[in-house]
Amino acid sequence: MTALNTAPRTVRSAPARAITPPAKPRRPWRTVITVAITLLVVLVFWSVKVDWARTANLPADIARYLWLMFSNPAWDRVPEALWQTWRSVEMAWVGCLLGIVISFPLSFLAARGIGPAPVRLALRGLFSLIRAVPEIVIAIVILSVTGLTPLTGALALAVNGIGTLGKWGYEAIEGVHPGPIEAVKAAGGSRWQTVRWGIWPQAAPEFVSFWLYRFEINVRASAVLGLIGVGGIGDMLTSYTQYREWPTVGALLIVVIIVTIAIDLTSGAIRRRITEGSKARDLA
Amino acid sequence: MTRISPETPAGAATAASAPWSIRLRDAVVRYPNGVVGLKKISLDIEAGEMVSIVGLSGSGKSSLIRTINGLVPLSSGTLEVGGHRMDLARGRELRRLRGQIGMIFQGFNLAGRTTVLNNVLVGRLAHTSVPRTLVGAYRQRDRQLAFEALDRVGMLERVYHRAAHLSGGQQQRVAIARALAQEPGIVLADEPVASLDPPTAHAVMGDLRRINRELGITVLVNLHLLDLARGYGTRLIGLRAGEIVYDGPAATATDADFERIYGRPIGDQDLLGGQSAAPTGTPA
Repeated sequence: MTALNTAPRTVRSAPARAITPPAKPRRPWRTVITVAITLLVVLVFWSVKVDWARTANLPADIARYLWLMFSNPAWDRVPEALWQTWRSVEMAWVGCLLGIVISFPLSFLAARGIGPAPVRLALRGLFSLIRAVPEIVIAIVILSVTGLTPLTGALALAVNGIGTLGKWGYEAIEGVHPGPIEAVKAAGGSRWQTVRWGIWPQAAPEFVSFWLYRFEINVRASAVLGLIGVGGIGDMLTSYTQYREWPTVGALLIVVIIVTIAIDLTSGAIRRRITEGSKARDLA
Repeated sequence: MTRISPETPAGAATAASAPWSIRLRDAVVRYPNGVVGLKKISLDIEAGEMVSIVGLSGSGKSSLIRTINGLVPLSSGTLEVGGHRMDLARGRELRRLRGQIGMIFQGFNLAGRTTVLNNVLVGRLAHTSVPRTLVGAYRQRDRQLAFEALDRVGMLERVYHRAAHLSGGQQQRVAIARALAQEPGIVLADEPVASLDPPTAHAVMGDLRRINRELGITVLVNLHLLDLARGYGTRLIGLRAGEIVYDGPAATATDADFERIYGRPIGDQDLLGGQSAAPTGTPA
């Protein structure tokens, strides 16, 4: 405490000494980029033609549709909605499993230090290419081969899953501590032995966490995929919106939201347990 | 000078191979970035010696240790380990030789999220086929060796614990067990106690001395604290700027010798202190 109290006094009583702080670094490019982005945002805002008069009605419209949908939801449709939701979840699940099975070996081959450079670059290109295309576009392409079935949806989710899971996978692999890898090498381990006992024990929890997260994404995406008619809750939702049966749409939305949130919460809790739970116990 | 104690338990399979000698001739290590790790070093270490290697950081002691198991390749010169030309070994032959050389690291290098047993079994990878490795189906004999190695360092009770849940000293003992499970001819230790508190450091150094005395294994330990180097080694090698500047019995090395190795006066920071390093029994 004494040190704290005396410190300011010592500073004040010290003779004034000329200090020269280093010159502030000049960053001309930062200024240029800031100005350019600001201009761009302003220009884009002005170039978009918005009918501001119509937006005045928006709040009233939203309120009217909300009232139509939720004032008296068609509860008798809930069993069918649940059944269709189940079909969507199945689509998400199958798509997730296929994505895992295919992306798993690929993410190892795409990681620095494991796969040869040409293979690595090709796979990374493939992953980015896949991620650039939304599931629904993939589904429309696959549609011409497999037809309007839930399998189309599952395949579209699987293809997209390869892109995301592949990228997350190789990033997790490259992020592990090098120590255990060095230990396996020093003990005479081969490349795949190093992968199995130097890398995998470190990366496994992250992999499982990514798989669950991808399932969450798929559950949400599978509802959207229904819009193109591959079945499931999205399909049902589109139909009733077209018939303008708002009470049914309301009931369907309630089911979709509750099921999605329930799956998100459960999977999120498991993921936290896997990644953070172990850390929390390590500290103990 | 070999010290294969006749009372080594018959059941302990952890010294099946004979201890190995090391022969370096005009060994040069030059890293890709131009830094020279070793400058034309010639060195003979007899089978069964316990050698302390001291020097400041950057003196080349890490390069020397890592050269011996081929983690750092020689730029020129020759290296014979146990009568085998390590510098010429590649691929399968290099892994086979590394399988006979245990290594202990400053940071333990255990895979924290898996069990102690799985970490120790890494020491058996050089003798395990890749298919067996991938599914973790080690042979009964390999498991037995892992159990015996853990028993030797007093960690058998923790065999199914997660490595990350152990204290630093316990983790280093597991790492020693991993090296012992290799049935090594040589054990290399790179600053094995630099991350440990003084009593634990003495315990771990005691373990290393015990495997040298009881199993006859050649042990090379990098250290920067002179009381540890003097107290536990039988021979002392001093490195400075990639060259050997001292080579003689450890017990009689004077402070003046250390000042010549370090190129500066010796102070308290060069001593660990704590328990006397006199060659008495190993603390439990």
